[in-house]
Amino acid sequence: MVSVAIINLTKTYGTTAAIKDLNLEIKDGEFFIFLGPSGCGKTTTLLCIAGLLKPDKGEVWLGNELVTSSERDVYVTPQKREVAMMFQDYAIYPHMTVFNNIAFPLEVRGEDKSEIVKRVTATANLLGLSQLLDRKPRQLSGGQRQRVALGRAIVRKPKVFLLDEPLANLDAKLRVKTRTDLKKLQRELGVTTVYVTHDQVEAMTMADRIMVQRDGVTEQIGTPEELYNHPANLFVAGFIGSPEMNFTDCTLIKEGARLWLDAREFKTPVPTQVAPKLESYVGEDLIMGIRPEDLYERKSVKGSTQKNALRMTVDIIEPVGPYLLLHLRKGRCSLVARVKHTTARVGQEVDIEMDPSKMHIFDKKTAKAII
Amino acid sequence: MRFPKPRRVTLYILLVFFAFLFLLPLWTCITTSFKPVHDVIYTTPVELPLSPTAEPLITALNIMQRPLLNSFTFTISAMILSCLLGSINGYILTKIRFRGSDTVFLFFSIGIFIPYQAVLVPLVLTMSKLGLFNHIEGLILTHTAYGIPITTLLFRNFYGVIPNSLIMAAKTDGAGTWTIYRRIVLPLSLLPFVVAAVFQFTSIWNDFLFGVALARGSEAQPASVALANLRGTTEFQWNVQMAGTLWYALPVLVIFFVLGKYLMRGYMAGAVKG
Ligand SMILES: Nc1ncnc2c1ncn2[C@@H]1O[C@H](COP(=O)(O)OP(=O)(O)OP(=O)(O)O)[C@@H](O)[C@H]1O
Ligand SMILES: [Mg+2]
Repeated sequence: MVSVAIINLTKTYGTTAAIKDLNLEIKDGEFFIFLGPSGCGKTTTLLCIAGLLKPDKGEVWLGNELVTSSERDVYVTPQKREVAMMFQDYAIYPHMTVFNNIAFPLEVRGEDKSEIVKRVTATANLLGLSQLLDRKPRQLSGGQRQRVALGRAIVRKPKVFLLDEPLANLDAKLRVKTRTDLKKLQRELGVTTVYVTHDQVEAMTMADRIMVQRDGVTEQIGTPEELYNHPANLFVAGFIGSPEMNFTDCTLIKEGARLWLDAREFKTPVPTQVAPKLESYVGEDLIMGIRPEDLYERKSVKGSTQKNALRMTVDIIEPVGPYLLLHLRKGRCSLVARVKHTTARVGQEVDIEMDPSKMHIFDKKTAKAII
Repeated sequence: MRFPKPRRVTLYILLVFFAFLFLLPLWTCITTSFKPVHDVIYTTPVELPLSPTAEPLITALNIMQRPLLNSFTFTISAMILSCLLGSINGYILTKIRFRGSDTVFLFFSIGIFIPYQAVLVPLVLTMSKLGLFNHIEGLILTHTAYGIPITTLLFRNFYGVIPNSLIMAAKTDGAGTWTIYRRIVLPLSLLPFVVAAVFQFTSIWNDFLFGVALARGSEAQPASVALANLRGTTEFQWNVQMAGTLWYALPVLVIFFVLGKYLMRGYMAGAVKG
């Protein structure tokens, strides 16, 4: 159980940079998630931590031990790192039974026969594999293979778990259950865990902290709440949250002492508490973001638009569980609002109001969040 | 009743014709082996013997016994050695890799294309210097060395298909290079081992040139050379020659019958997702 530190890590394959200058500190016992779209360098980062890949530049520390440094020519082999990794393609040994697969790391370490049987049995019970111990991998379903791979990683007590999309292939129900089990297990063992996923719901529910990656670059590191409530840029804002945050192009204008966001179809005042931060952007193009659950429907009053409300046409109504998603349109502006119930029908107009304190504003040029 | 399509029929006729053509020498070899001298003269080779006898087979075996044993000894030893070394080479060239491993592989590939004749003189000189001329050990060494390039190529291509993540998983599980080879790579290599073994067995067993150059007329003489000598010593005994040929061809035929199905079989099912 150690912390993991990554300093200036860079890895290039030919001309594609898989990781660019990554800096990261994962705390002892933390459940840390790499979140990002396919090809953003998540697996590559894990391989560097495990020592299966030598980076072009940078250092990796496990606790107080420097395990990789291209500058200082330090390289500790994966066998000596006490890191357990579960691979994206499972990589279970096709010629061994489930039992032997899970037992392999213990056998290689020369554990006692009885101890091996005890621990493999316990792990198999935990993962619901007890009935399958004599099977060969080709006799297993995708989800069962995944659990074997997970079992092989957790059967020993390593310093760090590296889990590469461990739940990707499970059906929805089993995924939710395994998610909880895994999280509980990690709490109990207290093993520092680095977990890769491109499923943001998984990341939000399991992580202590999340790093959002894109094209080898870190977009933001923070707790799930921080990422959700204070996304650092447009990418994170759009990547996290489902349905996605609404974005609208707008211009910041000043009328008298008051700042307004002008989106052509509508105009909304900037809340006074954030106004000072925006003062310098007057006249510039900005992007306003608002999450679907921060939009409300107001009972429309015939003939006139309510104050601060936007009258929009309902395009589609999508029921998702206890909520309804209203797809709204006005001119070139379209929004999605998440509401509990509505009296509106498709094609009708509704008045939409937003909570200004929940508004996100991004600089269009840099894509960075201003508030 | 459904009639097969004309194209099919033509295909089958052609296949049967060619199979017949290829099997004809074997057939004459078998019939002649069971013929006494009289029948050899008075029947065509294709015909069955008039009064079948095992005499030629026994005579031939008496002469060929020792050479056949020699051939077995060095063929099997060199086959095992070249397969094992080729497998280790293939593993290192694909899964360990090192600076210049591609260049090393290039040299191995060149080794495949060196004709036997080109190395004959230096080979004989080297073997006599080593004191291995006219010794079985010399033949083992030569055939092993000559087999390594092709087995290396074969194993390298096969190991290229074993997912790297399997090797990486074994590394994080704590297995060292040799343990990974023994516990992961080797058990997955049944198929290439069968292919390489069959290939090596036939080409070493059938070799004549190295045998003649390194052990002609000696105690260590291989069966291929002894077979050629059958003609020289006992003139025009076609039946004995054919019987000798039959003895000589038997092991290779048996191997193909027994192991043929393995040559067809895939062995990697279930290794990775999907
Ligand atoms: N062995 C390799 N050779 C060349 N390019 C590679 C290699 N491995 C990865 N890459 C490239 O590096 C980038 C990062 O790959 P990586 O496997 O880390 O992505 P990832 O975030 O794990 O994606 P996914 O979610 O699809 O698994 C990709 O653009 C990929 O094409
Ligand atoms: Mg990946």
